[in-house]
Amino acid sequence: MAEIIPLNGSNAPSQSAPCKLHPQSMCPAFGSLRILTRIEGSHPVMATDTGCLYGLTFVTHFYGASKSIVAPTLGTAELMSGQVVEGTRAAIDVAAKEPGAKLIPVVSLCVAETAGMPEELLPRKVGDAEVVLVRVPAYAIHSHPEAKDIAVAALLNRLAEREGAVNEKSVVLLGEVFPADPLAIDAVLRRMGVSETIFLPGRSLEDFRRAGRAGALAPLHPFYKESMNVARTWGMPVVGGAPVGITGTAAWLKSVGNALKLNPELVQQVIDEEREKAQAIVTARPLSGRVLVTGYEGTELAYARMLVEAGAEVPYVSTSIGQDPLVLPDELWLKAHGTKEVVYRKALEEDVSALDRYQPDLVFGTTPFASVAKERGIPAMYFTNQLASRPFFLSSGMTATIDFVAGVLTKSDRYRWMQEFFAE
Amino acid sequence: MPPTIIRDLSDTSGYWAAIWTMCPMPDVHVICDAPVGCFNLVGTAVPDYTDAVPHIENLTPATMTEQEVGGKGTADKVKWTYDNLAASGVLDGKQVIVVSTAESEMIGSDHSSLVKHLGVGTRFYYSNSLAEDEWAGRDRVLRWLWSEYGEPHAAGIAVKPTAVNIIGPTYGCFNAPSELKELKRLIEGAGGTINLVYPYAATAEQTPQLAAGAVNVVLYREFGMGLANELGKPVLTAPFGMRDTTTFVRELGKLLGTSVQAEAFIAHEKKTTLQAVWDLWRGPQGDWFSTIDVGIVAGLSHTEGLVRFLGDELGMKISFAAARPRRPGDYDNEGIRQHIHKRAPAFLFGSMNERIYLREAGARHTNYLAAAFPGPAVRRAVGTPFVGYRGCVYVVQEIVNRLYDGLLNFLPVDGAYAAQRSPAANPAAVESKGNLPWSNDARLLLDRELEKLPYLPRISASRQLQMLIEGLARQRGASEVTVELVEIGLVQNKQ
Repeated sequence: MAEIIPLNGSNAPSQSAPCKLHPQSMCPAFGSLRILTRIEGSHPVMATDTGCLYGLTFVTHFYGASKSIVAPTLGTAELMSGQVVEGTRAAIDVAAKEPGAKLIPVVSLCVAETAGMPEELLPRKVGDAEVVLVRVPAYAIHSHPEAKDIAVAALLNRLAEREGAVNEKSVVLLGEVFPADPLAIDAVLRRMGVSETIFLPGRSLEDFRRAGRAGALAPLHPFYKESMNVARTWGMPVVGGAPVGITGTAAWLKSVGNALKLNPELVQQVIDEEREKAQAIVTARPLSGRVLVTGYEGTELAYARMLVEAGAEVPYVSTSIGQDPLVLPDELWLKAHGTKEVVYRKALEEDVSALDRYQPDLVFGTTPFASVAKERGIPAMYFTNQLASRPFFLSSGMTATIDFVAGVLTKSDRYRWMQEFFAE
Repeated sequence: MPPTIIRDLSDTSGYWAAIWTMCPMPDVHVICDAPVGCFNLVGTAVPDYTDAVPHIENLTPATMTEQEVGGKGTADKVKWTYDNLAASGVLDGKQVIVVSTAESEMIGSDHSSLVKHLGVGTRFYYSNSLAEDEWAGRDRVLRWLWSEYGEPHAAGIAVKPTAVNIIGPTYGCFNAPSELKELKRLIEGAGGTINLVYPYAATAEQTPQLAAGAVNVVLYREFGMGLANELGKPVLTAPFGMRDTTTFVRELGKLLGTSVQAEAFIAHEKKTTLQAVWDLWRGPQGDWFSTIDVGIVAGLSHTEGLVRFLGDELGMKISFAAARPRRPGDYDNEGIRQHIHKRAPAFLFGSMNERIYLREAGARHTNYLAAAFPGPAVRRAVGTPFVGYRGCVYVVQEIVNRLYDGLLNFLPVDGAYAAQRSPAANPAAVESKGNLPWSNDARLLLDRELEKLPYLPRISASRQLQMLIEGLARQRGASEVTVELVEIGLVQNKQ
């Protein structure tokens, strides 16, 4: 279970800072469902009430996978008569009958967690399928990215194979990334002497098994703390940071080299090559303009850092995840490079207040916040759909992301025209 | 009693019903006693896809965390949320309603006393989310709104002779803007005037005005009958199909004393709007209708309406029809899934769930038409009704255009273009070297497989499969097409 961080620090209405009335995160559990439905052979069971089930399957069937999802009926009658486990077991049996079922994640949500879902009363395996309990009640997890971590950690705990020889020059990379990114990262790491990369979470259950014998684990996003704890209990080295931008990439490649004990000269050579490419991109097409980066994906600080390196001014960054040592290097870097505020577990009110104060040229935000910016004629886009769905890492990702941002920065006339048209 | 299992839930809970029914009214502000997920899904993530609104602005969560669940209760958080909202000014002139969620009900939160200590008029609505579905839920919310904001202030309101109320839609009702537009047109055509469209285009303050309606029309029969009956005036339901619509207009004319106008409207519609149906019926398109089989999964009104129009009036074969809420004997999703896996119809009206089942079945020859939630759909253009005379034209037009698409997709394209795009494609496999002989069993197997396809695509699929299988036979140097080769071809075709 993740550490509990209260959403609201104070119980008294505050006169100065904006009040956190509308928290901005997708339902946390969706983070885990998205990952779990995309794995081949995975047939999730959801233990929850019907309202929750409706909303989560709705978004999962649009943003996760076209995969049928079963659930026990958990209404007043079942909850009062203590049939949560019995119903869940029956749903597991139904899921196990799907063709090729290899994994049955039991996604246990608010109502089921409150009623009690004792893991020892669930089967560990039905037929060929592993049954893995994933506890993601929204009242305790707080954000969509952190629920991804809970799911990955649960699968690593159950499936990772620790027996057999460790593949010392291999690395596990954690994080949902654009499909082109793994190819680019793999190519660069192999040039440094890495023998194999395993990207989690992906479509393959086998990758979770192989992950247990890797030489190191590198979370590409800063919210995989439970998964890192799993690696630490194995004694597997963990590499922080991510190959983002000019300085971030150099530091990360160096850390991977150290963790895997790669040839330092070869590593330095690759670092220099990448630095040169990245620098060339920024020199060729520098960004100019003031941008607010305010999504809920947990990757906002890394994006802000890249944009600042490319020349943009990013005075304000906000995210749905909590403050954590994993994010600290990016926060410190940003604050040393002109960012005035970094807000964790943000609410709509804080973002809107930043909009008042900073008058940005461009906003990447949640849908409610992006719509507020557009109502003021400011170019704005949904962070998740437009930024988090492009190549991002290394120099190749940098080109894709910076070109896109540069393009949007030229569109302010259209946003202003639209605002004026509807204001008349 | 053995536990019941839900597959891909299609009906949401009483909590969603409450938000969807209350929040269209701009002078209402709802505080939901909810964890962040219950707020986000109903307030932001899903209304983007059901109603194409960026988010529901008059909804605020009293965000529940582990502290509240773990014994503290949610009263302090509700009060804190209320106080801060009030301090920011957004509650000025608003009716504030605190709504329970499944999780708040789970921990026994009941704020009926607490609301009395918040601002004047603040109310608590227990959404009964662990027991009520969205249909019963909406019905009860509408009655509650009438009893709280309407009835106590309705005593002096006189009935206007031709005024008609429309009850429904709320947020989250499939195709609401188009259905509403057509229903208004029919009511006005019959000689009525629109009084209130409740709650979709009304305010809480206007609620007492429901009493001025001479007739109440329920748009989605799945909910709203409770309120309509309490209002004590004649009740009609939105019509689907040509006969039903004619009866509706005629009936409304009688109730309003505007029969002359209603009959004139019907006669005029037959010569104008409905001419399209008459023309298609007389044309070659109408000959196809009896060869088409249709599956229907939708809300009760839409399901029964499509069965009447497509089945009873146009003569299409209804292979199955499952309403929400389910009628006795209707398939649940498990039954729908099995039916689709076994034999997918030529046309399937449904939701995202049916789409998944079609993809699982590899049913490429089925035309899917959105007719229900869940599933992302923009339905804000008002020209796509299922209701009324225009609904008849729209639905039959969609079906015929899909048939055209199907035919176009099956016309042969010269194989050399595929070879130009990808050297792997082998035009030689397509070149005719005369028909290969087929063993009796091989032909029977192919026939059995083709039987499973809808009628129209069968002709083209038959040629395509024959070419594929004979190509395989030639590649292997076979002199006859055998059962084994057909089996291999069928597998390749499904990939």
